Amino acid sequence: MSMTELYSLLPMITLTSVILVLMMVIAFARNLALTCGLSAGGLLLTLVSVFWVNHDLSAGFVTPLLVVDAYALMFSALIVSGSFFITLIAYGYKVQRGELQDEFFLLLLLATLGGITLAHSTHFASFVLGLELLGISLYAMISYPNQGLFSLEAALKYLILSAVSSAIMLFGIALVYAVLGSLSFTEIASNVYQDTGFDRLFILVGSGMILAGISFKLSLVPFHMWTPDVYEGAPAPVTAFLATVSKGGIFAVLLRFFTTVDSYQYETIISGLFWIALLSILVGNILALMQTSIKRMLAYSSIAQIGYLMVAFIAASEIGGKQLAIEASAFFLIAYFLTTIGAFGVVTIMSIDSTDHDQDGLDKYEGLFWHRPLLAGFFSTMMLSLAGIPLTAGFIGKFYIIAAGVKSELWILLAVVVIGSGIGLFYYLRVIFTMTKQSESNEVNVSATGGWAMAAVTLLLVILGVYPAPVIEWVSAVAKALV
Amino acid sequence: MTEALTIPMEHGLLLASLLFLIGLLGVMVRRNIIVILMSLEIMLNACCMAFIFAGAHWGQTDGQIMFMLILSIAAAEVAVGLGLLLQVFRRFGSLDIDRASRMRG
Repeated sequence: MSMTELYSLLPMITLTSVILVLMMVIAFARNLALTCGLSAGGLLLTLVSVFWVNHDLSAGFVTPLLVVDAYALMFSALIVSGSFFITLIAYGYKVQRGELQDEFFLLLLLATLGGITLAHSTHFASFVLGLELLGISLYAMISYPNQGLFSLEAALKYLILSAVSSAIMLFGIALVYAVLGSLSFTEIASNVYQDTGFDRLFILVGSGMILAGISFKLSLVPFHMWTPDVYEGAPAPVTAFLATVSKGGIFAVLLRFFTTVDSYQYETIISGLFWIALLSILVGNILALMQTSIKRMLAYSSIAQIGYLMVAFIAASEIGGKQLAIEASAFFLIAYFLTTIGAFGVVTIMSIDSTDHDQDGLDKYEGLFWHRPLLAGFFSTMMLSLAGIPLTAGFIGKFYIIAAGVKSELWILLAVVVIGSGIGLFYYLRVIFTMTKQSESNEVNVSATGGWAMAAVTLLLVILGVYPAPVIEWVSAVAKALV
Repeated sequence: MTEALTIPMEHGLLLASLLFLIGLLGVMVRRNIIVILMSLEIMLNACCMAFIFAGAHWGQTDGQIMFMLILSIAAAEVAVGLGLLLQVFRRFGSLDIDRASRMRG
């Protein structure tokens, strides 16, 4: 491996060394503030190295498994900054939960490494490796350190269902490999096969199984059954991680696979994706209406949000609209990351003192505007952004999705997006109305790091909504390089 | 290996699919967590088998490398699974997955 190749792997090497250092530090000195500081510092260092490599980038393959290009680095930056904010928010939450919490941050860094691997992967082996690094760390994070029964149940459910979906996906990969004789995305694109008999069957069944596995991880309808339970049971910072970093990494690899292999030419796959997106938006929004728990509501709303993202994903099937669609999905994902981390961040801060079950009942948020105006302000901004109200990043994201849909003429899906947003407005605004009600004061101790992280996320969200030009320039350059 | 001993890839994949279905049925039907974890292992091993047959068909080592990868992943998954299982038994006094299910859905 040459020096330039090593250099372009700098973000991964940095993160790996931080993980090793942290492991040694935990072995000798258990100090939560130190562990959290080291993880946050390490993530910042990784972020700097991502931009460093991005600055004078020589895009290309590093071993057949990984590719370093602007696209991979953009997703790495997104994943690492997401983990950074989650680390800060999780600190106050973890301090209140007693001894032996240090390894949580180690697991968080490992899962982040898995996410970065996914963003870089261009081969099924690295894809599986990244996916499982992410998944296995997450099982442990959900139940860590298993104080509540709910988190244990959530971890068990997630482990069984996630392992089944991984197995289904692996079997699909094996079938595709049996026909095409390669596991590398670029070689799969160039290998030809006879479109008859067994080969056709294997390819069809294999791609269907891979798609089903990925839909499960992205919690798209009809593979969404696990989502509300796991979101409700998992500790709020882990839920934030599950909803953002895990989904972002998987979406990155899905989009890369589809653009490299050009799976868009298969009508069957596109019509399958069409139904998945349509059902996700409708089912997610309608079920979110009926929830009284904020975490379950956010779970269904995240199903719907990923449904919107899939509209942009499908829009990339039209040759003319491909660049705009990739741009749209990247921007939407950035907005989704910020908003979701912010929303679960507020739930985290609210639940700092609760031991068994997080404070996620809607009634617990009554009168928040009068007791904790700043926190309520942050939460309102997140809800407005999820609803797609102007001056927030969510608005620009949704605008982008609709623009991509119009360019690729997906009229039915666009109608569904509009209907879904209409329904969404109702339950997002209901949260804000609940917070303005008068009620008895219930004291919340906001941790300083969590508070500052929330302020930063909210500020970024508004900046992105008011002045999105620099980020738009960035994502459009990335999309142009990918197409 | 002589020509007569070669097994066609389709037969191998069929066997792997059967094993996979047995595992999947086990996960869906059985309620004991240990048996569910065992069924998961069967599913993952069926994937390994499919990879080995496909790799042998193409004369590549990729299939065997994927086998090793899946093997280690399955080991890690089951290690975490057994850890959770111990906790479940300690808290609920039972390995029945329905007893451990308190949330809706």
